[in-house]
Amino acid sequence: MADAAFLALTVITIGSAIAALEMRSLIYGSIALMGTLGGIAGFFFLLDAPFVALFQLAVYVGSIAVLILFTVMLVKRELIFKKIEDRRRKFAGIGLMLIIMVSLGAVFLDSGIKTITTDEPPVDFRDIGTDFVIYYWPALILMGLILAGSVTGALILARREDVENDQRVS
Amino acid sequence: MSVIAPDFKLSGFIKAIINDAVWFLLIFSLIGFPIIMMILFFIPMPVIDGELLTPFLAFTYLADPTRTLPIVQAFMTTDMFKIMAFPGFGFAALLAAGTIFVERKMLAKLQLRVGPFYCGKIEGILQLAGDGLKLISKEIIIPAKADKPIFWAAPVLFVASAAAFVALIPVAPGWVVADVDMGLLAVFAVIGFFPIVTILSAWSANSKFPFIGGIRALFQMVSFEIPLILSLLGVVMVTGTLNLSEIAASQSSFPWIVFLPVGAIVFFITMLAELERIPFDLPEAESEIVAGWLTELSGMMYGLVQLGTYLKLYAFAALFVVLFLGGWNGPMIVPPFPMELATEGIELGPVTAKIGGLEPLLTQVITQEMLNGTLMFVLKTVGVIFFILLPRGVFPRIRVDMLLDLGWTKLIGLAFVNIFIALALVYAGVLGPGGLQ
Repeated sequence: MADAAFLALTVITIGSAIAALEMRSLIYGSIALMGTLGGIAGFFFLLDAPFVALFQLAVYVGSIAVLILFTVMLVKRELIFKKIEDRRRKFAGIGLMLIIMVSLGAVFLDSGIKTITTDEPPVDFRDIGTDFVIYYWPALILMGLILAGSVTGALILARREDVENDQRVS
Repeated sequence: MSVIAPDFKLSGFIKAIINDAVWFLLIFSLIGFPIIMMILFFIPMPVIDGELLTPFLAFTYLADPTRTLPIVQAFMTTDMFKIMAFPGFGFAALLAAGTIFVERKMLAKLQLRVGPFYCGKIEGILQLAGDGLKLISKEIIIPAKADKPIFWAAPVLFVASAAAFVALIPVAPGWVVADVDMGLLAVFAVIGFFPIVTILSAWSANSKFPFIGGIRALFQMVSFEIPLILSLLGVVMVTGTLNLSEIAASQSSFPWIVFLPVGAIVFFITMLAELERIPFDLPEAESEIVAGWLTELSGMMYGLVQLGTYLKLYAFAALFVVLFLGGWNGPMIVPPFPMELATEGIELGPVTAKIGGLEPLLTQVITQEMLNGTLMFVLKTVGVIFFILLPRGVFPRIRVDMLLDLGWTKLIGLAFVNIFIALALVYAGVLGPGGLQ
């Protein structure tokens, strides 16, 4: 069952990734990108990490993909892209990708991944939270400050000063 | 008297029904029954209690409650029943249908109109069925330059997302379709799908009004998702779990709205915005952009989107009940079923009628807790839905800059205030270990 799910997810992820690159229509391409990101969420589910999987869905499929979709919809494709048909480049790209995939696979297989035991209990998200607060608190606080700074900066940037104040009610 | 069918006669109606029934029985007994028998002849039937289950025996089983009730009980505990009927789609669709009717009638009363009146003898009670029939029988028109695959898929995806949302809601103890450990996170993930479906549907129609409406919907949903998520973190902090059933069960003494009223208010406002309801109905602003992102949808596609919208409304109201109002907890007002009727039988004069399979059904599946929990849950949910509907009667639509300002500055700030209240409650020892709960 898990093997079948893994195979199906692999097909969906890789297939929609290729589709995202190859589709002529940008909208369908970004939908295919959503499929890729959703497929990765499925892998996290298979790895007993539902916390990461649901965040993957909520953040990547729910927000990032929507941003991409939204941007793409406001773009006229003909104005910015001129498609250059070049078969040699295409085959060179495919060959390069194959070389990279094979070498990455060789590195993974050589790295002792086969000796990892897979029957360990899944990590509880409460443990992750405890670790964050106890061992990694400086990193957490730094991250919080950076995020707060960026949110404040975004809010300041988003305040439009050119709007007449009497048009705004608040 | 109805104007739509002036020649209607009840006697004629009954006569027509009896006529149809007789013809149906005649055709079924002459053609259908032999065909069923012929098919059954080739299918190997199971052996039950050392007896071959012939079709006649199967009919006997159906008529015998001692044999039927265990089958009913087994069916009620299957996942299929949960998905299709009780805590899942059927239950939610029933409440959604009720909501539509009550909304139309109540709005009419608020605005001194009549509302649905002619369908059905009493106060237009059949208006909903009439509208449903109309939508089903209407032709589906697709704009010539629409992107057909996405245009067809969008309403179905919308209903599917809403149904996935409904599946996560616990209605009574143990009665939930998908009891996920990360229930609340799953809710956030599902909510994230609505803007995608909306903007895809709007874009694929290739028409101006839907596109404007879709972009408005996207702005609104994305900007209100953040305060929505933040406002629910307080509840997660005080309960220490993301499982919706555990959150509901943790409120047996008091609902969280007592301690986290700010979060509840922020969640309610963001809920109105996510549901595109007045005063935040800019995506469907009918006086500006026809019907917003629904403009090009026709026939049953529009019907599906409406169904999805009201399922979503039910799910949000139910989520509010589960998180802030205590879910199924409440006073036990459903009386216990007199068990001696099931164990000893019903005495009717000289005859004692004893129904065999009733006792396990009543002690294991339809228990008093389940009935009371469902009643409490439905009462609270209906109350919340009432408060969601109420602004539509009085408020005007607000401007888009006011909407975004509200979402991005005020509500996020209030949500953070709520988080600090929750933190203070936990660290001061009022709630959590050693505190009240």
